[in-house]
Amino acid sequence: MSWAEIWPLLWQATLETFQMVLPAALMAEVLGLALGVLLTLTRPGGLLANRPVNRVLDAIVNIGRSLPFIILLVLLIPFTRLITGTSIGSTAATVPLTIAAIPFVARLVDGALYSVPGGVIEAARAMGASTGQIVSKVLLPEARPALIQSFTVMLVNLIGYSAMAGAIGGGGLGDLAIRYGHQRFETDVMIATVLVLLLLVQGVQWLGDWAASRADHR
Amino acid sequence: MSDIALSPSTLPPSALPTSAVPALQFIDVRKTYPGQAQPALRDLTLIVPRGSRTGIIGRSGAGKSTLVRLISGLETPDAGQLLIAGQDAGQLSSKARRERQSHTGLVFQHFNLLAQRTALGNVTLPLELLGVPRERREARARELLAQVGLGDFAGRYPAQLSGGQKQRVGIARALATDPDLLLADEATSALDPETSAGILELLTQLQRERDLTLVIVTHQMEVVRAATTHVAVLDAGQLVESGETRALLGHPGHEVTRALLDAHRPEVQLAPGEVLRHVNLKDLSSQTLAALAGLGARIVLAEAHPQGVDTWLALPEAQAGLLAALNLQAVGA
Ligand SMILES: Nc1ncnc2c1ncn2[C@@H]1O[C@H](COP(=O)(O)OP(=O)(O)OP(=O)(O)O)[C@@H](O)[C@H]1O
Ligand SMILES: [Mg+2]
Repeated sequence: MSWAEIWPLLWQATLETFQMVLPAALMAEVLGLALGVLLTLTRPGGLLANRPVNRVLDAIVNIGRSLPFIILLVLLIPFTRLITGTSIGSTAATVPLTIAAIPFVARLVDGALYSVPGGVIEAARAMGASTGQIVSKVLLPEARPALIQSFTVMLVNLIGYSAMAGAIGGGGLGDLAIRYGHQRFETDVMIATVLVLLLLVQGVQWLGDWAASRADHR
Repeated sequence: MSDIALSPSTLPPSALPTSAVPALQFIDVRKTYPGQAQPALRDLTLIVPRGSRTGIIGRSGAGKSTLVRLISGLETPDAGQLLIAGQDAGQLSSKARRERQSHTGLVFQHFNLLAQRTALGNVTLPLELLGVPRERREARARELLAQVGLGDFAGRYPAQLSGGQKQRVGIARALATDPDLLLADEATSALDPETSAGILELLTQLQRERDLTLVIVTHQMEVVRAATTHVAVLDAGQLVESGETRALLGHPGHEVTRALLDAHRPEVQLAPGEVLRHVNLKDLSSQTLAALAGLGARIVLAEAHPQGVDTWLALPEAQAGLLAALNLQAVGA
């Protein structure tokens, strides 16, 4: 294939990838952040220490993370159809991507918040801060660099997952690589796709590292 | 509140309140941490007079930090009562407790500053929690930073400050809400001696200017001597003695106190038949020196500070017993 033919295909596929990944990333970040905060707060010794709740949340996160994405994709088809009215296309692919990313984000957020020194939380408690204030004014802002890093890791992962989501008709770069590169032996398309994916991942990682280091005043 | 527990006759005479309502009153307070066999504090009865600078001294594990955690509302007593400005801290609603906490300043050994906030941002935090508008809280924080000598450092992050400067930010933050009670738990322990002295001076000065009640927790007798008016000695969760600093250091009544006093005993060669004694004298006037000479005393080390002169004497063994009399005379001279 000539570049003139490959170019619009690549462009279209890249857009589709963004269409799948970005809404999923935003939703997963919001929900994963909430779950991660709950995980941290309910830990033994935490501000809302509650062992049973912590165990249940922990189990949900572990199950969610250990389920292979391709299986989640298939399992979620009925749920996806319920929410989006269809089970194919980039909108539909957003649902399993979001669900897969939530426990991932939650675990990373939990780790990031856990690294905030206990003394700082104690200082806020001694000032009379409520739990909500400690979360919003101390835990999250103090963990901001680590949270930015975790968002980056999640984005990179979602870009990878989105290639698989292409398998159920989500489109995107992974789908392009499989349809042309693999099934039709268009090596040029394959290489171009891989290059774009590589650039995308590198770009996201670089941007994330830059933002995280800018946000870090330690 | 129990009337009996509050009656002055049950309180140690040396710790009688200077005004009607003491800043703090511990009455038979006990605190055991979950899973611990030994209580961290037991049967603690102590008064901290309003407007005093009270030192809490004791060896590691004595229960000093636990006492501070009770006052700052981070823990509650298992038994007994803690009255803060006459109010039972154990009976407060959580709203009232938070209100109380926002008017108690706390200074930490390791500063506990927020790394992602500037000095200014750290000092404004307590006001932010109270919902004070940005302009007002920043004006107040700048004023406080200037008072602790960091007027030009408002925009710096903690990582860009020295230990002493971080502690100054910690002190400014503790004062942000204009508290009546300031607690310092080993506030100088992580600092070198010179920086420590500066911080103690600042705390003392602020206490005077603002008429605060200052509670200074330490394991170092020098800190007690340099910065306090009253002192309580804790050991293994119990109060061993308490009183005015000068009197108590001059006549330590308990072995633990003496051990703490001796912790920095100077390295000296004593002649045979000589013993080393530590006394706090009001001064080293010619009168005092003459009295010391009369006892055959040799001054090994003397250090002047606001509470008097801290003196190490090499004394003939036979005269050691007379020291109490001399000390009384010297202090009264
Ligand atoms: N969170 C806790 N859980 C269990 N035990 C604790 C806890 N905090 C303190 N203790 C115990 O309570 C006792 C008193 O501790 P505390 O921290 O009050 O001592 P301290 O006088 O401040 O000692 P240091 O000079 O080492 O700071 C110690 O035996 C300690 O091990
Ligand atoms: Mg301590």
